[in-house]
Amino acid sequence: MPYSFTKIEQDKTRTIGFVFVFLIILYFLAAWIIYFVSKVYFLSEGEHYAHYAAAFSVSASETLAVLGIAFFIGLTHWFLATANLIPRLCGALQAEALNPKDTYHQMFQNIIDEVSIATGGRKIRGVVIPTGAMNAFAIADFEGQAVIGVTEGLLTRLSRAQIEAVVGHEAAHVVSGDCLNTTVAVSLFEVYATMLSRMKQLAKGVDGRSSGRGGGYVAILYGIIWLVTNVSYLLNMFISRQRELRADAVAVRLTRDPLSLAEALYAISNRWRGGGIPGEEIKAIFIVNPSYSRLDEGRGWFSDLFSTHPPVNQRLDVLLGMAHSDVATLEKGLVQHKPKQRIYDPGEEQIGREQISSPQTPMKQGVMAGGLPDGATNATVSREWIAHKDGHWLGPFTAEQMGTLDWLRPDSWIKCFGTGRIMMASEDEDVNRVFQALYGARGSKAAGVDCPKCRIPLSEISYEGVPVLKCPRCSGILVGETDIYRILIREDFSFSDRIAKMAGVIKKEQAKWAIGKIDLKTVNLLSCPKCQHLEAKMVRMFYSLVYDVEIDKCIFCGFIWFDKDELEILQYLVEKNTKKEI
Amino acid sequence: MTMTLVIILGVIVFLALWFVGVYNRIIGLKQNVENGWSQIDVQLKRRHDLIPNLIEVAKGYIAHERGTLEAVVKARQQAVDASGLKDKQQAENFLSQTLRSLFAVVENYPNLKADQHMLKLQEELTSTENKIAFARQYYNDEAARFNTTVQTIPNNIVAGMAGFKSYEFFEIEDKAQKEPPAVKF
Repeated sequence: MPYSFTKIEQDKTRTIGFVFVFLIILYFLAAWIIYFVSKVYFLSEGEHYAHYAAAFSVSASETLAVLGIAFFIGLTHWFLATANLIPRLCGALQAEALNPKDTYHQMFQNIIDEVSIATGGRKIRGVVIPTGAMNAFAIADFEGQAVIGVTEGLLTRLSRAQIEAVVGHEAAHVVSGDCLNTTVAVSLFEVYATMLSRMKQLAKGVDGRSSGRGGGYVAILYGIIWLVTNVSYLLNMFISRQRELRADAVAVRLTRDPLSLAEALYAISNRWRGGGIPGEEIKAIFIVNPSYSRLDEGRGWFSDLFSTHPPVNQRLDVLLGMAHSDVATLEKGLVQHKPKQRIYDPGEEQIGREQISSPQTPMKQGVMAGGLPDGATNATVSREWIAHKDGHWLGPFTAEQMGTLDWLRPDSWIKCFGTGRIMMASEDEDVNRVFQALYGARGSKAAGVDCPKCRIPLSEISYEGVPVLKCPRCSGILVGETDIYRILIREDFSFSDRIAKMAGVIKKEQAKWAIGKIDLKTVNLLSCPKCQHLEAKMVRMFYSLVYDVEIDKCIFCGFIWFDKDELEILQYLVEKNTKKEI
Repeated sequence: MTMTLVIILGVIVFLALWFVGVYNRIIGLKQNVENGWSQIDVQLKRRHDLIPNLIEVAKGYIAHERGTLEAVVKARQQAVDASGLKDKQQAENFLSQTLRSLFAVVENYPNLKADQHMLKLQEELTSTENKIAFARQYYNDEAARFNTTVQTIPNNIVAGMAGFKSYEFFEIEDKAQKEPPAVKF
C-alpha cells in the first residue's frame, strides 16, 4: 500500500505540534533572558551586592509569569502566521492567478488536471510567478486547499513532459501531506521576514530624520529581530531534506517518467533558479533551493539537520537509476529549445524588406532625429506630402488624395513639403483624419478598444501565447502591464533579418550615446485606448535605460502601445542580452 | 459449561467483527476502483467530443486527405458505440491509432500546424490522452489493490461469501508501448 492516510494524518499533527512547542520554548527562552537581564540591570543600580543575589534567584511565580507572556506571544504569532495561509504566501511570492486565455497557462492548467487525476482526484489550484527564473513550489493549508506554482521561466524553457514531472513532484508533496508542515513552518518564518523588512524601512525613516536616540532604540529592536530571524533558521530542523527525495519517488509513481524529472532538475539547477526573487527567504517550499547553498550540497548530519534540500546530484542519481541512465547521457540527450520561424502576413514582410534594402531608408524619427532637417515651426506653409513606396518617393499628394492610395498604410513613411519632416502617415493629424473617416465608416467602431492611431477596433490575438490587442491596419500592439514580462521571457519565435538590423541600429546608436531623449515637441501623444473615460494620454518613453525602444505607456492602466516592429525589436534586444549573460 | 459458552460467544463476536472490518475495507477499495473507472469514462467522452471539432478544422486545410479523416470519424463512432470493457479497449486503441496517423499527416501541412484552433485542439487532445493514461493508471493500481485484497487468505473467505469479484485491468494494445525498452549497458 503506497501510503496510509491515517498514518500521514498522525505524522502531520505530530510535526506541527513539535513546531508549535518549539515556538513557545523559543519565546520562553527569549522572554526569560530579557526579564533576567533587565532585572539584574535595574537591581544593580543601587550597587548592593545583596540585590545581585536577589536578581540571580528567580522565583517560581516569576518563571510562571514569564512563561505565560511567552505563551501569549507565541500564540499570537501562531495565529498571525496560520491565518490566510495561502493568500499571504502567494502575496509574498507575487504569484498571480492563471489567465485562461494564455496558451502557456492553459497548458499548465491541463497538466495540473492530468496529475490531479493520477492522484485520484486531489483538487489543486495553479498560480504563476512572472519571472524568468526557473522554479516551482507547492503550498497547502489546514482546510485542505492546495496550490502549485511555477515561474514563467519554467513554463517557457521546459518541455511538456518535464513540466508534467515537476508538477508531479509538487503534487506528491501535496498528497503525502508534508506540504502542510513545510507551509506552516515557512509561514512562521515569513512573519519574521516581513517584520524585518518593515523594521528596515522604519530604521531608514528614523535615520533620515536623524534623531540620535530614536535611532539607537531602532538599532536595538533591529538587533533583536535579526537575532530571532537567525534563530528561526532552526525551524529548518523540522523540514526534513528527505522529503524532497520522497516527493521525487512519489512523483515517479504518479507520472511514471523519472527521466523527465531528472532532466527538469538538471535544467533548473543549471540555470537561474530565482536567487533574488521576492519570497526567496521561504525557500523550503521550492523544488530546488532558489539560492545555491553549500549546506544543501553537503552530506552528513549537520547538513541533514539544517539544510532544506538534498544535494541535486543525489536526486539525479536516484532518478537516473530508475530510468537506467546517467548524467552524461542526460547531458547528451538534452535538446536545445529551438524557436519556430515567425509566420508573417506575406504582404507585411515584403514591405518590411523593401524598407531596409532601400538606400535612403527613413528610420523612426526618435532614432534618426539628429540627421534630419527639422523645421516643425512653419508647418502651416503647405499641406502636401510625398509618400515612400518601393524605395521611391511618390507625390505630391494632398491629404484627400492620400486617402485614396490603396498601398498607403498608417506606418508608411511620408514627407511633408513645408517642413521636410519625415514621419509615419498616422503621425500627421490631417492624413490620419482621412484614414479615420475611411475606416470609421467600415468598421464597427463602438465595440471594444480602438487603435490609438487608426481609430479602428483592435482585434485580440495570441502573441507568444499571451492575449494582446493588435491593430489589423498598422500592426501596432497593445500589451498589458504584466503581460509584457511574459512576452519578453518566452522565446517561441526567431527573428527576421529586418528586425535584427533595426535592433542593430538602435544598439549602435545606444553605444554612441546618440539616443539622448525623445523630443516631445514633435510628438503627438496618443490617448490611451483603455482609459478613454479618463481622456488619459500615453507617455512617450523608452522601455528602460538598457533597452532604448520607444513605447507609449499609460500611467493609469499601465498598458503599453508598441508601434509595428517595436515589440519585436525589444524582444530581440532582451533575448540577445540574456543569451550573452548565460 | 458457562466457560465454553463464553469462549464460543467470544469467538463468534470476534469473527463477526473481523468480517465487518474486512467487508468495509473491501467496500472502500471498491469505491476507489469505481471512482477510477468513472474518471476514465469522463475522459473518453471528452475525447469523443473533441474529435468532431478537430475534423472540422482539419477539413479546411486537408479536405483531399479523405481516407485519413474518414478513418478517424469511423473509429470515433465505433468507440462511442462500444460497450463492455473488452470492446471499449479495442475501439479506443483503434481510435488512438487513427488519431496518430492524422497527426502524422498534419505534420506535412505547416499552415494547418500553425492554425490557432488546431494548436488549441492539439493541446486539448494531448491533455485528454494524458488524462486517459493517468486515469487508466489509477484505475489499474486501485484494481490491483482490490484484487490482491480479495484474493489473499483470509480475506478471500469474506469476499467469497459477500460475492466480490476481481476487476479486469484496462490494458493497452499498443505495439510501441508494449515492446520492452531497449536496455544498454
